[in-house]
Amino acid sequence: MKMIKSNIRVITLIVCALFVSLMAFAAFSISTQGQRWFSSSANTYLRRTKSNVTPGSIVDRHNVLLAKTDEQGKRIYSSDPAIRKAVVHAVGDDRGNIAYGAESFMANYLFAYNESYPERLAQALRGEKRRGNDIRLLIDSALCKKAASLFPAGKSGAIVVMNYKTGEVLALQSFPGYDPVNLSQADQENPLKPFWNRATMWSSAPGSVFKVVTLAAALRNIPDAMDKTYECTGSLEVGDTSVTDAQHAVHGIITLKKALAVSCNNVFAKVALELGDASLKKTASDFGIGDYFLFSDLVVQNSVYPADDRSEKEIAWTGPGQSRLQITPLHMAMIASSIANDGMMMEPRLLLDVVNGAGQSKYSFFAKEYRHVMEKVTADVIADYMREAVRSGTASAAAVPGLDIAGKTGSAQIDGQTETNAWFIGFIDDSRYPYAICVAIEDGGSGGGAAAPIARELFRYLSGK
Amino acid sequence: MKAKRRRTPGRLMAASIISFLASAFLLLGLKDLNPVTFAMALGVPLSFYLVTVLVPRVFPADRLLLTVVNFLCTLGILVLYRMDPKLAKGQMINYAVGIGAMLFFIYFIRLTQRRRPLVVFLVLASAGLMVLPLIFGTERNGARAWVSLMGFSFQPSELVKVLMLIVEAYLLTRRKVVAAAAYAGFCLLALMLQKDLGTALIYYSVILVMLWVATRSGLYLGLGFLGAAGGAVVGYQMFSHVKRRVAIWINPWTDYEGAGYQIVQSLIAIVNGGFWGTGLGLGNAYVIPANTTDFVFSIILNEFGWLFGICVILLYLLLFLRGIGIALRSASRFNAMLAMGSSVLIALQAFIILGGNINMIPLTGVTLPFISYGGTSMLSSLSIMGILQGVASLNENEMEEDRELAMAQGGNI
Repeated sequence: MKMIKSNIRVITLIVCALFVSLMAFAAFSISTQGQRWFSSSANTYLRRTKSNVTPGSIVDRHNVLLAKTDEQGKRIYSSDPAIRKAVVHAVGDDRGNIAYGAESFMANYLFAYNESYPERLAQALRGEKRRGNDIRLLIDSALCKKAASLFPAGKSGAIVVMNYKTGEVLALQSFPGYDPVNLSQADQENPLKPFWNRATMWSSAPGSVFKVVTLAAALRNIPDAMDKTYECTGSLEVGDTSVTDAQHAVHGIITLKKALAVSCNNVFAKVALELGDASLKKTASDFGIGDYFLFSDLVVQNSVYPADDRSEKEIAWTGPGQSRLQITPLHMAMIASSIANDGMMMEPRLLLDVVNGAGQSKYSFFAKEYRHVMEKVTADVIADYMREAVRSGTASAAAVPGLDIAGKTGSAQIDGQTETNAWFIGFIDDSRYPYAICVAIEDGGSGGGAAAPIARELFRYLSGK
Repeated sequence: MKAKRRRTPGRLMAASIISFLASAFLLLGLKDLNPVTFAMALGVPLSFYLVTVLVPRVFPADRLLLTVVNFLCTLGILVLYRMDPKLAKGQMINYAVGIGAMLFFIYFIRLTQRRRPLVVFLVLASAGLMVLPLIFGTERNGARAWVSLMGFSFQPSELVKVLMLIVEAYLLTRRKVVAAAAYAGFCLLALMLQKDLGTALIYYSVILVMLWVATRSGLYLGLGFLGAAGGAVVGYQMFSHVKRRVAIWINPWTDYEGAGYQIVQSLIAIVNGGFWGTGLGLGNAYVIPANTTDFVFSIILNEFGWLFGICVILLYLLLFLRGIGIALRSASRFNAMLAMGSSVLIALQAFIILGGNINMIPLTGVTLPFISYGGTSMLSSLSIMGILQGVASLNENEMEEDRELAMAQGGNI
């Protein structure tokens, strides 16, 4: 009898633990993912309340109007069609075509779900129709308009501009854009899928811009990495294939600094093989590749480091960013930011503040550290090498006289595409203009030729030079 | 000497539940202006009062247990009335029948105390019931667990649950492990053949818990876990709908308009409710399929909010702990096992479906005890409460005897 009773006490503890874990799980999943569930297009309740509450308006960081609801209850957008088109992926539209634009993902503010019951009751007693909160985004609509004008017509891709010190996202653009006011049949049938936010959802092999990650791994794991030289013979035989460079260039005996500047695939494949898959993967995961991104203002596709079938050939191609790596443009901008910000990656943020109908502030932006990627010394060396790439290498088209620009280009080969995807990541190394940029053009040609000049014009715009 | 009546918060609790029920139905009545709703606003609190306050005056029953159970049952009737008044009417009949069964089991437990032939009879009865659906069964939601007889359809495995508790408690307290295992194996085999895997899971875990409590044998526990793992693998390979459920559990959003629809809508309903809920009658949890049976808790979270939902979870926990208290006060091993098994069964069943509703564990279609719509489920849950009440009343008698003995010896207590 005594044994039975002591056993019963053990069982009691176990069952209590089950119930506690049930409540803990609910609290955890609601707090981390609740907003994603709530703003999902599958939420019919949201659609229904839209008729009871006048949604708040959306402005950009300089208070330029991006969306509001007029007296007739119609949602109206910026009067400038070019701005409408340039910010549509960040703002979204009232039809919910954009999966996680502010119009849907921030619906809890726009439709005042964040308001407490006393506030709701007070509004009801005053006989007012309920009004949502107004939100101010961190994006800069004039910058977005400028970026959209630079992007090659008829191409698809993305541009992301962020402040590397604070994580503020100034531009989050996907191309082609569309006009939410005059949504045409052609937009809906466009094979380039204008509703898809490529900046956050398009994860693909980034090509040579990934070399900054390989470089970081080399600087950490190879003792004399900065002085060591590698020989590029133009072609590196690995297994049944060979790693070659664009135009089959032969770079001879070079340092890693030079190899990054000229973007030598051959050397970075060698470095990857020297490092081995495990240490390359370790550094990649320090950069957030493989993370489950749960940002408070943005929904981003997770980046993937290939896990299976790691043959020599696969590992060699991972060094220059090919293989089956999958990274989004926003994440590449975050990687560039972490190099610029002494190794600290900031969480990308989109929301500046929220003000309710009575003019009270309900939310205010604050910078959030996302993860410590690497030591400052490593970040400084990578930045220095990227500066060299702008000074004398493939990224020279991004140079702006009088500005300290660091950059890296990429031309990613994708199976089934005639042209490579053009990539550029870079930043201004100047505390007055702490901006990092990622430009990605699908089927766009070479990174140095197509993406870097766009970045140059944006750097000029941002610094006023 | 008359035992002093202790002041308990019972009255306050009953009063607040009665006012909750009355105001909730009045609120619904103001919305639809249906005289039936106003009648419910009187009738449901009244029946709560009758069962909670008057039953213990006539029958030996634990008041706290009764209050909590009745609250959960009437909350179920309220939620069902809000979703579909017809179901609520059915549920009221289920509730009345269930209360009858509860009272029956309070006395039935006294009969089982020293009567071996009764257990033999229970074994035969449960064997017969378990085989029924395999012969006359109709298929529902992929499981062949239902039998229709003369216009009534019921789920025999729910009824056998109650008998199983008594049989296993009897066999295990007499250390007849082989017989207990054979009986359990038979029940589980029948449930597997009926493809009623949620119920099989409950049977399995409750029997394993009882086996361990009776023997504290690491060997049996190890064998039990091995069997569970084997069963899980075989079930995963054998039944396509198990594979589907697991895939949905891992990520319901990959197919949120198809296979994952139910769980995705449940999650959305939960966040729509927020901390305070959308308000009774104002939510949209009706879009969830099976919202009155498997997903009834999502409606509660949707319309009453998380705060209330946590209180409901805590009430199940309270029910469990009260049951364990009864088990620990029992004088005989048989009664302790019985009370413990009953409490664990209700708690685990609640955990399995609540965890499924919030996508913590793969969804298995079992009912939330006392709240979900379902005649057999209500009958079995309340019968199990009857077992607990019966054991509690036996404990009381025991204490009374002790007291009298002490008085006769001139002692003081």
